[in-house]
Amino acid sequence: MNFVWSRAAAMARKEWFHIRRDPFTMSLALVMPLVMVVIYGVAIDFNVKNVKLAVSDSDQTQASRRLIDTFSSSGYFRVRRDFSPGQALDDLVAERARAALIIPPQFEKNLWSGRTAEAQVLLDGADNSTVVPVSQYVNTIQTLASERIAGADMRPPYDLRTRFLFNPELNSRWFIIPGVVVVIMAILSIFLTAMTVAREWENGSMELLLSTPVEPIEIIVGKALPYASLGALAVVFVYIIARAAFGVPFRGHLWVFGLGCLIFLLTYLAQGLFISIASKQQTLAMQLSMLTGMMPSVILSGFVFPIASMPKFFWYFTMLLPARWFMVISRHCFLEGSSFLELAVPFAALSLSCLAMTALAAHKFKRTLE
Amino acid sequence: MSEPISISVAGVKKSFRAFQALHGVSAEFEAGRMHGIIGPEGSGKTTLLRIVLGLMRPDEGSISYREGGRDISFADLRPKISYMPQTQSLYPDLSVDEHLEFFRDLYGIAPPDYKRKREELLEVARLAEFVRRPAGQLSGGMYKKLGLICALLRSPRVMILDEPTTGVDPISRRELWTLLYRLLDEHILILATTAYMDEAERCSKVHLFEAGLLLASGEPRTLLQEQKARSFDELFLRRAALGGP
Repeated sequence: MNFVWSRAAAMARKEWFHIRRDPFTMSLALVMPLVMVVIYGVAIDFNVKNVKLAVSDSDQTQASRRLIDTFSSSGYFRVRRDFSPGQALDDLVAERARAALIIPPQFEKNLWSGRTAEAQVLLDGADNSTVVPVSQYVNTIQTLASERIAGADMRPPYDLRTRFLFNPELNSRWFIIPGVVVVIMAILSIFLTAMTVAREWENGSMELLLSTPVEPIEIIVGKALPYASLGALAVVFVYIIARAAFGVPFRGHLWVFGLGCLIFLLTYLAQGLFISIASKQQTLAMQLSMLTGMMPSVILSGFVFPIASMPKFFWYFTMLLPARWFMVISRHCFLEGSSFLELAVPFAALSLSCLAMTALAAHKFKRTLE
Repeated sequence: MSEPISISVAGVKKSFRAFQALHGVSAEFEAGRMHGIIGPEGSGKTTLLRIVLGLMRPDEGSISYREGGRDISFADLRPKISYMPQTQSLYPDLSVDEHLEFFRDLYGIAPPDYKRKREELLEVARLAEFVRRPAGQLSGGMYKKLGLICALLRSPRVMILDEPTTGVDPISRRELWTLLYRLLDEHILILATTAYMDEAERCSKVHLFEAGLLLASGEPRTLLQEQKARSFDELFLRRAALGGP
């Protein structure tokens, strides 16, 4: 193949003029990463706090007060006093509370007489996103409360200690922001390039371009270059925000992360170009990039929904998605400090999809109008 | 000095789904002449040009390219051919100068040649004072002239123009034709389509198209005498009144 750099550079330069003069492209490239990081980093918090707990204490003893104290001092619950179990239930139903703690009379008496003292916790099961973490808190508090109420001699015969490696506080931002990097890059690269070739078809300039000596591969490279730089810029931007504003640790090697970013960027740029070449229309290209680029990278990449719990078919299907592999690379680089060798599998898979996409885009690019 | 290039088309047919655009067209386009492809809208002119340019493949028939009597392939010809499409094909946000620089790089023109060419073309097209204006803000005539000078930047041996004067005011039309005549001095092959019948008489050879068929080819005066018409306008109007071919 006959590849002339000056022609690819001319394409890149022309594309850069379009980028500079198009407010939509510029704002997508600069504002979108900022908005996404802020939304995911600040607004979305999987660490459930301040759960409203309706408490009905029919025992009114030292033991029952200690139990309630344990809940309120945990920081996860905000206690709301009720006079009867029925009222606590009403609060739950009317959504004035997300959980209810009902302590029956005789709670302390049963405790000291050696029988099992029972108290009831009711959770709003309709809200799936909070019920799981809240029930975990309840378990922890139960252990804590029984120690505090009964004293040291009531310790269970074994001691199961859980420590969370890499993200000891289970800070959801540490988990989310390295994933946001993936989503931002995916959206940015695929949307920007998906529009560019289709735009040439729509405004008629493709016919003229195809009659010049420029080769399809030069058009592809020339178009990808400026958007690759924009994507790289967005990564640096998000990286700085992640480290400076959200205190996300970066324990890996920057070059491993950078290499992953580059391959991922090229893959999605190629996918965007492929969509653009195949669709030849901007509106169609927009919809296709939404469907094949944005949705899978948010839903099926393991960004928020765990891949491990997907049905078998989808579990295998995610293997085809570059975003799934880059998600692994990004999180490992930020939180675990993995080496390149430890990430060999995701890197191999990512490179393979990059090659496949580029080949597909170059193959689809015909030098004819048909 | 490069050898003159000529193109011949033999029995070319082309359909788009149910619509047949060309019904077996054969024509000779000899070097060093201005060939006018004349016919009403929808007569297959653009399709023929696109096939000649390799932008479309014919369903049947063949196109051969010759350089000084020797057959050459389209790949050999590609670096020597310039095209100006009928549809708007420039970038509205790029200025006149940015267009010229873009095509300079695509055609790989050396800086001294470019400098000379640029000045000469801007002068002839009278666009010199608008070099910084974006193409989207040029008038119809200036826009067409910009398209033409972009195509002429690289001294083509074959120049293909699809309706270069459509939507252009009479003065700009005359300027465009002047630009084209200058090229003939360099002995290049020009193929231009037009729906303006008066422009047919400016060509040294005309090819009359109607409904995907080549009706006749020849020198304009001779053709009109054969058809017993005073002008091409009259010729086509008469045919239209008869209900087509």
